[in-house]
Amino acid sequence: MKRTLLIARREYVAYAKTVGFWLSLLAFPMFAVLGGGIPLLIRSAEPIKVVTVIEDGPAATGLAAEVRAALQEEKDRLAERVQEAAQKGQAAAGRAAASISGPKMRLIDAPPALTVAAPGAAREAALREVLDKDASKDRRVDAVVFLSRVDGKPQAQVWTARAMDNDVADFVRNALRTGYRDQALTAAGVAPSLVEQIESFKPEVKAFSPNAASGGEVSMRDRIPAFIGLGAGFLLWSLVITGASILLNSVMEEKSNKILEVLLSSASASEILTGKVLGVAMLTLTVLAVWAGIGTSVLTSASPDTAATIGQVLLDGGLVFYFIAYMVGGYLMYAVLFAAIGAFCETPRDAQTLMGPIMMILVVPILVMQMALTSPDAPVVKVLSWIPFFTPFLMSARAPSDPPLIEVVLTLIGMFATAALMVWIAGRAFRAGALSDVKLSWKTFGRAVTGRG
Amino acid sequence: MTAALTLESVSKRYGGFDAVRDLSFEVPKGSICGFLGPNGAGKTSTLRMILGLQPATSGRIDILGAPDGRLVRDRIGFLPEERGLYKKMTPVEAIAFFGALKGLPSHEGKKRARQLLEQQGLGAAQKKKMKELSKGMAQKVQLIAAVVHRPEFVILDEPFSGLDPMNQQGLEEMIRGLAADGATVLFSTHVMQHAERLCDKVVLLAKGRKAFEGTVEEAKATSPRVLDLEGAISPEAAGALPGVAGVETLSDQDGVRRLKIVLAAGAGGQDTLKAAFLSGLDVRGFALKEPTLHDAFIGLTGDNPDQPAVRAEAVQ
Repeated sequence: MKRTLLIARREYVAYAKTVGFWLSLLAFPMFAVLGGGIPLLIRSAEPIKVVTVIEDGPAATGLAAEVRAALQEEKDRLAERVQEAAQKGQAAAGRAAASISGPKMRLIDAPPALTVAAPGAAREAALREVLDKDASKDRRVDAVVFLSRVDGKPQAQVWTARAMDNDVADFVRNALRTGYRDQALTAAGVAPSLVEQIESFKPEVKAFSPNAASGGEVSMRDRIPAFIGLGAGFLLWSLVITGASILLNSVMEEKSNKILEVLLSSASASEILTGKVLGVAMLTLTVLAVWAGIGTSVLTSASPDTAATIGQVLLDGGLVFYFIAYMVGGYLMYAVLFAAIGAFCETPRDAQTLMGPIMMILVVPILVMQMALTSPDAPVVKVLSWIPFFTPFLMSARAPSDPPLIEVVLTLIGMFATAALMVWIAGRAFRAGALSDVKLSWKTFGRAVTGRG
Repeated sequence: MTAALTLESVSKRYGGFDAVRDLSFEVPKGSICGFLGPNGAGKTSTLRMILGLQPATSGRIDILGAPDGRLVRDRIGFLPEERGLYKKMTPVEAIAFFGALKGLPSHEGKKRARQLLEQQGLGAAQKKKMKELSKGMAQKVQLIAAVVHRPEFVILDEPFSGLDPMNQQGLEEMIRGLAADGATVLFSTHVMQHAERLCDKVVLLAKGRKAFEGTVEEAKATSPRVLDLEGAISPEAAGALPGVAGVETLSDQDGVRRLKIVLAAGAGGQDTLKAAFLSGLDVRGFALKEPTLHDAFIGLTGDNPDQPAVRAEAVQ
């Protein structure tokens, strides 16, 4: 036992004290934050566009007002959302949402040079002057919108400083469509108040389910478990694969550096294998703890209610213990297998023969887990979750949907029985591989396991 | 003297290949025993069986009173043929880690590591990473790691390979020091000079079988003495001298030859030389050569690619 712990500690320290480990550990939450945050940051940091709207001729009268009204309406709507968020104690989230949604536009009166210029060459020259990026700040605009009516239907010509800028055109299109619809309805005899009523009407649709926590109405609290299951499945998958891969590389490194034979003269193969599996398990738990810590901190500060709900869901019915059991079983199955493969290899290329098919199999639960989010009892999800190699991931995804207890128990038994078998197989293969110089193949691996190698 | 290691009819078979066949020998306690044999003779397989890293196909092994090396692994030190230590560890960390695996407390392991490194002239390398050390230095560190727990039995697999003459000499001194401290040392090698200088006993292995077991002197005695003669002497005339078992012409320049005369078992060479002078042979130069362990090795294993077949025939 002492040797096992010594090997485990060395394994843990060897990785934990490298900068690379902490960088890769932080990479996942960093990419998660950057992946979601950067587009938001870019959007919120976008400058407010200065736009001027010009009505072309008397027929277009009122169109500019429609655009202005639409913009004001949008601003009011966002202000309302910020206020609602503040009332729920999520002011920061509300402000963040407001900063990234809605049109980033400010309407100004048209510069005199544009209004006086007659359509044609003179206007175009004036346009180029105000849209020119080198124009002085007080004269420069980002977009000029010419509004007109043709056969009574509103039309717009949008000039922008940047050719690929569609924001203003999109906003104007929506504003004109809404205005035209309102006018058409009014012209058809519908009272303006009724038109406004229709415009602002949002039907209230509530979902009910006898399985909801409240016994009736489905709330966010009911939806969170499914997301937790899916998240746990993915998290488990990435942790197991990360841990197993670390183990594979570690054993390969020891094999190529000729350390395994020295180790084998100091400790038994099972002590070495157990120590290494334990050491990397500690690393994996460190990763999990850091990720969980970061996730909890971010969620608690951004949305304390959601954080509390997630905590409650994890503790209700011992869901967190299921996840732990699936994690232990999943890690054991794959970690010992990868370690045994590593014992035959000195380079990653040596390991490809066996790793290729294993990685292909490991893609299956990733594909099926997404189905488990909406249909946790779909036949394909149920059947595949009985396969021990997929059990940890698929049952994690299904667990929050309250699968039948018998399924949970039997799949757990199957998984741990397979894990025990894998430990036995890997132990034999590890010992044979550590002292062997033969090239790794399914045949040599099989011979090592059966003791004929 | 009691045996620290006993092998009785040990065999090892890999698939259809017999790596070790019916091998029996003993290593007395406190002795230095050379385990000699050409490449592929089965030395490493035997050492692995002694350590319990591989099971014997048949036979019995007794090491330090245990039937399996794994049961007494804390009392054994092992240096494998292919060396390796954790590259990112310092020598002190590496030595202390392997010492700890053998039951040595960490602080004691570090203390002894520093002492042994100083003794071996590696004091300045204590804080360097293993990857920064030269091959010779790393090999010394690995040997220290193998013996830091003061084992009763030390097994060294080809310990001299890859070392320069200076480091080879240092290693020889280390091995002598281990034996002087009471440890039993078994080391494999195919370089006879080291064995000749170090060993109280040698075991020769050829094609998986024991070819010889005994002291270095006894091994040498299995090989005949050689008398080199130079002059206008015909091989036939030399062959007629007393005590001659065979003659080989090494060079012939206009009738002036260099002859290698293999003496018969028990022949000292003086009588043969005396007879050569008395019979009026044109002896212009001579040299009486004592057999070396290398000669014994070649004679016993028949493994010397440089040696002409006639020599082996002459010896037989």
